[in-house]
Amino acid sequence: MSELLGADEFRRVADGALSLRGADGVEVLLMHEAGGLTRFANSEIHQSISREDTGLRVRVVKGGHVGVAASNEATPEGASAAASSALEMADIVAADPQWPGLAPAAPPPQVDRYFEATANATPEMRAEAVGELIGGVSPGCRAAGAYETTAVELAIANSEGQFCWAPSTQASLTTVVTGPDGGSGFAETFAGSVDAIDADAIGRTAADKALASASPRALDAGPYTVVLEPAATATLVGFLAWIGFAGRAYIEGRSCFEGKQGQQVAAPSISIWDDGTDPRTLGAPFDFEGTPKQRVELVRDGVFRDVVYDRRTAKEAGRDSTGHGLPAPNPDGPFPLQLFMDTGDATVEEMIRSTERGLLVTRFHYSNIVNPMESSITGMTRDGTFLIERGEIAAPVRNLRFTQSILSALSSVSMVGREAHLASEFFFSASRVPALKVDEFHFSGVSDH
Amino acid sequence: MLEVAKTAVEAARAAGADFADARAGTDESESLTVRNQEMEGIDRSTSTGVGIRVLVGGRWGFASTSRLDDGEIDRTARLAVAMAAAARQLPGDAVTLSPVEPAIASWRTPVKEDPFTVPLEEKVALLMEASRQMQGVPGLSFAEAGLDFFRRSTWFASSDGAQIEQVVTNSGGGIEATAVGEGDMQRRSYPNSFRGHVKAAGYEHIRTLGLIEEAERIGAEAVALLSAPECPSEMTTLVLDSGQMELQIHESIGHPIELDRVLGMEEAYAGSSWLSPDARGSVRYGSDLVSITADATLAGGLGTFGFDDEGVPAQRVPIIVDGMFENFLTSRETAAVVGQTSNATSRADGWSHLPLIRMTNVSIEPREGTLAEIIGDTERGIFMSTNNSWSIDDKRINFQFGCEQAWRIEDGRLTTLYRNPNYTGITPEFWGSCDAVGGAEDWVVWGTPNCGKGQPGQVGRVGHGAAPARFRNVQVGVRG
Repeated sequence: MSELLGADEFRRVADGALSLRGADGVEVLLMHEAGGLTRFANSEIHQSISREDTGLRVRVVKGGHVGVAASNEATPEGASAAASSALEMADIVAADPQWPGLAPAAPPPQVDRYFEATANATPEMRAEAVGELIGGVSPGCRAAGAYETTAVELAIANSEGQFCWAPSTQASLTTVVTGPDGGSGFAETFAGSVDAIDADAIGRTAADKALASASPRALDAGPYTVVLEPAATATLVGFLAWIGFAGRAYIEGRSCFEGKQGQQVAAPSISIWDDGTDPRTLGAPFDFEGTPKQRVELVRDGVFRDVVYDRRTAKEAGRDSTGHGLPAPNPDGPFPLQLFMDTGDATVEEMIRSTERGLLVTRFHYSNIVNPMESSITGMTRDGTFLIERGEIAAPVRNLRFTQSILSALSSVSMVGREAHLASEFFFSASRVPALKVDEFHFSGVSDH
Repeated sequence: MLEVAKTAVEAARAAGADFADARAGTDESESLTVRNQEMEGIDRSTSTGVGIRVLVGGRWGFASTSRLDDGEIDRTARLAVAMAAAARQLPGDAVTLSPVEPAIASWRTPVKEDPFTVPLEEKVALLMEASRQMQGVPGLSFAEAGLDFFRRSTWFASSDGAQIEQVVTNSGGGIEATAVGEGDMQRRSYPNSFRGHVKAAGYEHIRTLGLIEEAERIGAEAVALLSAPECPSEMTTLVLDSGQMELQIHESIGHPIELDRVLGMEEAYAGSSWLSPDARGSVRYGSDLVSITADATLAGGLGTFGFDDEGVPAQRVPIIVDGMFENFLTSRETAAVVGQTSNATSRADGWSHLPLIRMTNVSIEPREGTLAEIIGDTERGIFMSTNNSWSIDDKRINFQFGCEQAWRIEDGRLTTLYRNPNYTGITPEFWGSCDAVGGAEDWVVWGTPNCGKGQPGQVGRVGHGAAPARFRNVQVGVRG
């Protein structure tokens, strides 16, 4: 069980840094995280973990010279010590000519993403759910995975008078079920509330895939039509955020959207935006600089519209921050953490029925960038890859390696799923995305399982 | 702090733990980044707390806290026991720990010059000058230089009677030149990509790197890549430099030999392994030239320590001997499963995490020849250097790696420079095709300070001794 520390406690700690003398500006980031994790493998719980920590990060500016110090001594004295250390560093370094100033006082949007049921989740409750999941898995199959519940309080205070505090919760239950003869299936739910998690259904979905993917056959690499389930779509969108939607790469001419503003970069059915004010996603409604989050249209009807900014990149671009700053110091620049892709009107079953020959992909594994400006990435399929022939699942296939431009894939999307699911490519962000049917997707290699 | 760890163990035992160990610890880090002679970031960070691990009825529980008063330690110890008790709600085999002699000892990374006491002014001046030298190259867009320092102090106690104090210090630095052209971006790094060359050492390591001396060359190489042709797509002979070999070893040998992966304990997240638990002595992993050692006693390695986070003393373990697979990386729990004792690879990402099997310094044993001699001995092929991308499947079989630059080898000479090179392969086939491994002259102990594993995600700091090597019949130039 986790009790909220509350805004007043964060204010009290932050004041220890804000009272620093000799600086032009002080910013304090405070984050309290409390949570538990029940991890299972071979259909047994093998790790049961509780963690609690409060971190503080103080940024001090003096005449455009900036220093940052962090610790987990979350007291006024600890904040004061971190501020003094940051000031010492600021005194040494050269001034930042692009220093944009600290965020002005502005109230963030009110979004309730704190669920008592998640914050109060117990190891017994998680173990019970894991038991349900394992119990629903067929004999001969083994379940592995993790059930994690976390409560986070994030607060930003600065010497410009800005103070914002938001509690939020996250719950995720993920499983990979392995079956006989090399079968493997994946399912997960990622949500703010534990009430959204149906352990039995997650286990059955993964187990069904594990049984269906037994004895996979080898398939040649090459171009295929693919039906991507939401977890696979999240990989494409997550990497696009990294190499395309980040404001710093864009203003430096390193983005895959360089020179493409207002141009068609994807099928007209594709719209992507970031919206930290939407209650259907996770996290805080303000960024790590204390700027309220804005909804940013990134791609609308397949046309590239915009990228996200923090205060520094916004100044360079002559724009306002969109509320996408990460903790300082941050050489990588802003990042969209709460992505959405618009839904369409198709079901996965309809996508399969409309496919003469193609592949159904449950998810991708260990993807990485090949060529950022071409939006090209590579990765493997995993935990349920199936051949589609004449509108039906014909056979499970061994995992394949893809090497593919994300924008080319999104340009050949012919169907979009009617339901969006929250998924996470990177541990620090979430995307609410649908399944996609992509008419041409390039596989460059095969594995043995 | 040793008293904190001992108090935690006593509290856990009092709360009902059959076995308990505790790690009280402090992590300190300092990071500086300069880009185009502007300070991109300078920060210092510290984190202190205690993590308590217990066995109750053969099931693990773990809890951690950043508050170190007796009351909080007692609460956290009881919480760890409660976590284990909850795990007992489901049936399962009881954990058995392989035996270890409880040690009372202390250990420190040998450091000549404490990196945290070197003046910030000196560090900033080094980075500014390296950046300035790179920026002098016409056509270069970004000239970045960075330094990173890390120190982990750990006080370990166990209910078996172990009491161990340990201080590990890491220092690293590197430069990175980026050239942006028409629809293209090229990057060169030195001494290696992703923040340079990190070692278990003090600031004396930084003084050997030559960041200023190599800056102009690295900048020029980045610009030259913009006008180089794309690496062709073909099956050919591939020569890798020591830096890329580090990553090749890490991903396609280091991870699949972790016994927790082999036993399915990481199945749902990082994946498992192509090796089965009975693979020891029966699986050919590579050619006769491929011998791999996991050595936690290797000077300068990020995986070098006195004791792992279960109090097991550091060891040097043969992993692959002349191509044959011999040993897994093991913890006390997993070693017992296969009837062995731990070879000391259980480490945690600080006090707030549960220890997992992590690579120590997984290195290829040097053979003969320099990189230049291997290239000189190659009639036709491709030479690639410095990693910039990696991907491998969940059993560590099918991989694809990208490098910063490549050269055509013709009649033993480097002729044409190529950009955007990559190659792909199947782990045992690739290592089986190895027909040259360089000697001690070009064998370098590299550091990988960012190895991800576990849930919640943990970052491991591991090392790899790597020599340049040659592989036959490799697919290079993979296109979508």
